[in-house]
Amino acid sequence: MAYTNKLHVIYGDGSLGVGGDGFHYIFSYERGGLESLKIAGKEWLYRTPTPTFWRATTDNDRGSGFNIKAAQWLGADYFQKCTQIDVTVDDHHFAGLPLDNDHYSNDETADKVSLTYTFTTLTVPATTVTVTYTVDVAGQIKIAAHYAGKAGLPELPIFGFRLVMPTVATGFEYTGLSGETYPDRMAGASHGTFTVKGLPVAKYLVPQENGMHMATDRVTITRETTQNNADCAREPFSLTVAKGRESFAFSCLPYTAEELENATHVEELPLARRTVLVIAGAVRGVGGIDSWGADVEERYHIPADHDIDFDFILNAK
Amino acid sequence: MDADIKWLDDPETFRVNQLPAHSDHHFYGNYAEWAHHTSRFVQSLDGQWQFKFASHPQARQPGFFQPDFAASDFGEIVVPSEIELSNYTQNNYINTLMPWEGKIYRRPAYAVDGHNKEAGSFSEGQDNTVGMYRKEFDLAPDLRGKEVRVRFEGVERSMYLWLNGHFVGYAEDSFTPSEFDLTPYIQDEGNVMAVEVFKHSTASWIEDQDMFRFSGIFRSVELLAQPATHVEDMTIRPSVDDGYHNGHFSLDLQLAGAPVGTVHVLVKDADGNSLVDQSLPVDEKVTLPAVALENIHLWDNHHPYLYQLLVEIRDEQGQLVELVPYRFGFRRIEINADHVVLLNGHRLIINGVNRHEWDDQRGRSVTLADMESDIQTFKENNINAVRTCHYPDQLPWYQLCDDNGIYMMAENNLESHATWQKMGKVDPSYNVPGSVPQWKEVVVDRARTNYETFKNHPAILFWSLGNESFAGDNIAAMGRFYKEHDSTRLVHYEGVCHTHDYSKQIPSLDKSTYLPAQGTKDYRDQISDVESWMYLPPKQVEEYLQNNPDKPFMECEYMHDMGNSAGGMGSYIELLDKYPQYFGGFIWDFIDQALQVKDPVSGQMVMRYGGDFDDRHSDYEFSGDGLMFADRTPKPAMQEVQYYYGLHK
Repeated sequence: MAYTNKLHVIYGDGSLGVGGDGFHYIFSYERGGLESLKIAGKEWLYRTPTPTFWRATTDNDRGSGFNIKAAQWLGADYFQKCTQIDVTVDDHHFAGLPLDNDHYSNDETADKVSLTYTFTTLTVPATTVTVTYTVDVAGQIKIAAHYAGKAGLPELPIFGFRLVMPTVATGFEYTGLSGETYPDRMAGASHGTFTVKGLPVAKYLVPQENGMHMATDRVTITRETTQNNADCAREPFSLTVAKGRESFAFSCLPYTAEELENATHVEELPLARRTVLVIAGAVRGVGGIDSWGADVEERYHIPADHDIDFDFILNAK
Repeated sequence: MDADIKWLDDPETFRVNQLPAHSDHHFYGNYAEWAHHTSRFVQSLDGQWQFKFASHPQARQPGFFQPDFAASDFGEIVVPSEIELSNYTQNNYINTLMPWEGKIYRRPAYAVDGHNKEAGSFSEGQDNTVGMYRKEFDLAPDLRGKEVRVRFEGVERSMYLWLNGHFVGYAEDSFTPSEFDLTPYIQDEGNVMAVEVFKHSTASWIEDQDMFRFSGIFRSVELLAQPATHVEDMTIRPSVDDGYHNGHFSLDLQLAGAPVGTVHVLVKDADGNSLVDQSLPVDEKVTLPAVALENIHLWDNHHPYLYQLLVEIRDEQGQLVELVPYRFGFRRIEINADHVVLLNGHRLIINGVNRHEWDDQRGRSVTLADMESDIQTFKENNINAVRTCHYPDQLPWYQLCDDNGIYMMAENNLESHATWQKMGKVDPSYNVPGSVPQWKEVVVDRARTNYETFKNHPAILFWSLGNESFAGDNIAAMGRFYKEHDSTRLVHYEGVCHTHDYSKQIPSLDKSTYLPAQGTKDYRDQISDVESWMYLPPKQVEEYLQNNPDKPFMECEYMHDMGNSAGGMGSYIELLDKYPQYFGGFIWDFIDQALQVKDPVSGQMVMRYGGDFDDRHSDYEFSGDGLMFADRTPKPAMQEVQYYYGLHK
């Protein structure tokens, strides 16, 4: 069967499979997200992607007590609770899970597949985040994230989407701003396309939030290894994320915010094994007035009572 | 005279037999020596010394300074270096609290009620580690038969010196040169120099800088022989006339040795053209009256134009006895009627950094390569100014700043943070130097030494009285010293802001955050030509600037660059465009203080900070506030600094 102009849809019991020319995705109902992102035979996901709310405490955060004020977001980042999944194939919106799926074949096709995962944050009060994946026939996945503003929650350290890859990348190339940038520290950057070798971690004495790149149009991550025991190729292969309606911020590091948070010295960080890509729609400034109380300037905060929306294209062509 | 360990407890004894401070000029036997940067009159004593460590004064080895002392159980140490970094004693990083916090109760002598002498406070201090140094040497042939002195460029913190069993002298002030006359005791061969270095003395109270607390002979040591006639001190007086086109040059020399022969003074421009060529008879004091010079080249950051001064001392036969070369510049700094700081008639903007001397393997015993690297980083990133926080730096640094047009705020070795700020509150209950009479001379001496040593450097635009020491009569006296001796520079001191009520100038600032609850005398009209604060947020800086500023404003520390920081810099920089009375500031700070060590677990070379040596109390990673990582690679924020500092180059 040729899929070239159609998506192949597999109505599984625990997942929705979506295939096409050179790609195959598995959207899990059990694991609360995209379980498999296979492109040209290579798996790109270690675990299902989730929203992300935490950044490893910076020295300025610690000094101003922001980490304490925002501490709920650490729990919300660490533990994720997916509370609803909505499936839409072409124009058909399914009523709920499990799907009534005994009447399909292995030859189901579609032009468009869309899933929305709703997360209820482990905060008090709770709020919701939805992540909607929309796959087109070329295998591009538009990902739209929505944070529902809620009064009574602390300001957010970050709002983004975290994707952990099974092996460490050899580097990445991006079109955006030079160097490490934050909303309140991007005036000195130049715009261009930059190649970064490996996954450098800024060697701040105490590991902390680092490596953010604001105002990015496109980033391509390249790996050479997989965890597949039958795959001993060492040829580079790549995944591209492109902007949707607006540019995005990203960091690409071998560590999660929690791993960085846990280390008091660079050498305490785990051996680099994964690639942690964070695509962020809202980034808090780093501040700089002092490191013992001064807050980040107001305009660089992320208020929790406002909705936040952002989108981008995964596996962009 | 014999050495007395009680001097450690006495703030009024801070130099014994130490030669007066003087200008930092080099001197040579002839032009070839100058060209090769080697002087027949200088003999380095750097290198291996015999060394014995004592954990406290009572554990010292009596008589170790005797030439025939059996030093068989002495080890070795390299001079210059930090004792701690040879692992004789523990590394400790601590910010404001004194290093004996929670271990020993101490108060500064006379600071509690005017009578507390605190006898034995340091001479019997169980935390007062001692380094006993011995060096055997023969005098180099060219130095024999001459008057010979020794110069210690930096010793933390208090040192006693012996030569061949004779007590020579005592010095404090860790960061300026200490010189002693060795002539009465020196012999051609088989000399034994002995130095006892105490980590603590009353000087510890006024050297409470935010840094790793080290001790030892951490800067170079050399013997200096005196030519038959010698320029002991030199004051170059270049002045810029109104109009900034013409100037005057004059020179004051203080000579030592044979009062015969002539002094030949030459001044050449950068193309070698001779502008001054005069001879005067040798005398104890020689003054070259002002020479008018037209169309002078002014010195600034963009064009650090230096003139070459050559002072030749010739004997009665016309033979060259001594050559003193010095590169100096013409520049004029002033505050105009609108309270705007001008350099050479143009508004001055400081794109500055605070710079601790730091090397991740050598501590504060930095190398010339470190200094040259730092200058290069300044130039690459539009940094045009440096504050020598919070002590005078190594001698070559000042010349490098002259050569490269780096504006200097030359700070005295003074910080007494623990004596006035406790748990963040301004509480000067036992502040020194304060207005305690017994603490006046020691700090005025530090001002004098800083001035006398570095007075000829065009790079120095500001003298800074010190850092974070509150304010009182004694700091006012330091300020007066500079005013009485130097009309060519401005005087800076930040701590005076804790004595003045700013309700009118900065209404939104809560008084209790900067004023002592018990009240204080206001010193603002006595201390500091400029209004200086540290870490004042942009909003409050703007308030000051909007409320009829009567002094130009600067931040002597701002943009605290700890970890991932330096955000929001634009809010400060845009004030430069709005208010001419704002003249910028010095970022805190240039380089992380961290030590590179081998991690026993991973075997990797890693950076360690406060507390990593089991040192308590410690302020942990607060030592890492630099724009540079401790290994001299730039932090990511540097591109932001380069941009913003490039806007007002």
